Amino acid sequence: MKILVAEDDLTTRTLLSGVLTRWGYEVVPADDGRQAWERLQEPEAPQLAVVDWVMPEMSGPELCRKLRAQERESPLFILLLTSKGEPQDIVEGLEAGGDDYLTKPPDNEELRARLNAGRRMLELQAALAQKKKLQGVLEMAGAVCHELNQPVQSVLGFSELLLMDLSPADPGYDLLKNIKIASERIGMLTGRIMKITKYRTKEYLAGVGQIIDINEASEPEGGPELLAHKEA
Amino acid sequence: MTDRTILVVDDESMIRDLFRRFFEQAGYSVQTAESAEEALEMVRETPIWVLFLDLNLPGMNGVELCRQIRRSWPMAIPYAVTGYASLFELSSCREAGFEDYFTKPVNLDDLLQAAENAFGKLERWKER
Repeated sequence: MKILVAEDDLTTRTLLSGVLTRWGYEVVPADDGRQAWERLQEPEAPQLAVVDWVMPEMSGPELCRKLRAQERESPLFILLLTSKGEPQDIVEGLEAGGDDYLTKPPDNEELRARLNAGRRMLELQAALAQKKKLQGVLEMAGAVCHELNQPVQSVLGFSELLLMDLSPADPGYDLLKNIKIASERIGMLTGRIMKITKYRTKEYLAGVGQIIDINEASEPEGGPELLAHKEA
Repeated sequence: MTDRTILVVDDESMIRDLFRRFFEQAGYSVQTAESAEEALEMVRETPIWVLFLDLNLPGMNGVELCRQIRRSWPMAIPYAVTGYASLFELSSCREAGFEDYFTKPVNLDDLLQAAENAFGKLERWKER
């Protein structure tokens, strides 16, 4: 996992980078606030950031404020490093948009634990975003089904009407029956999708994301089916 | 013999046309209305006992229409036919007085079965 280390003091930055690399992080260094800002604008920017309070070009809290005013594609967890211990400083840093803080020099175990907490928060936010996305897709699918049902009713109904007038020996009979069967299948599909009350998802491909599993999601929740379709 | 008239209420003309042709072919006489308000006016003029109501109507919806019909004509037998299954719950349709509930697309045979059941009931009630 990528992590931004924004620290103007070379010694501290090197020490921090060493520890973080040992823990498996891919460190993206920045030696002032401006550079930190730029690193975080790049595609696939880190989602974790350790940011020093006092930096040239742009201070830690200033950087936080600027980042929070931005609409970012993915969430960002910011851990502020402070050498001051004043309570109002901490309040200021958190108000500016920092998620957590540590006093310099940070204790390694504490740093690790706080970064882990940050990762949990990022995971939670990612899960929530995914859920919202799926919800949106489902609502869209439901709306489309609703609109489809009217014309499908006409296709099904009129083909049934025509079938009543045709003898099974008529060459058109089987063709018409296919239309009827196909429209019944569309109806079953829209019915299933609309019955989704709880949706589940299955892992499509690791890393690619999740897809809605209609067959899983539309499993009846118990109780009578609203409409029993006849087997064609 | 009960008057074998069915009222079909749907805002889509193609569906009204479909149901009219089908029920007429099955030997019923069919009236149609494209809104709840129009339907109410029609039944006030001459009560119709078996009704197929679309639920998602402009203006007054089908559930409210059903409620009003059942209040004034408790023996009426209304069926819900809707493309919006998730918008209208089965339980609230039953509460409003619907006899049964069909989700579009519905097989015409199912509707015929429903109509026959309804007229069978009406006959039985008349004999009491």
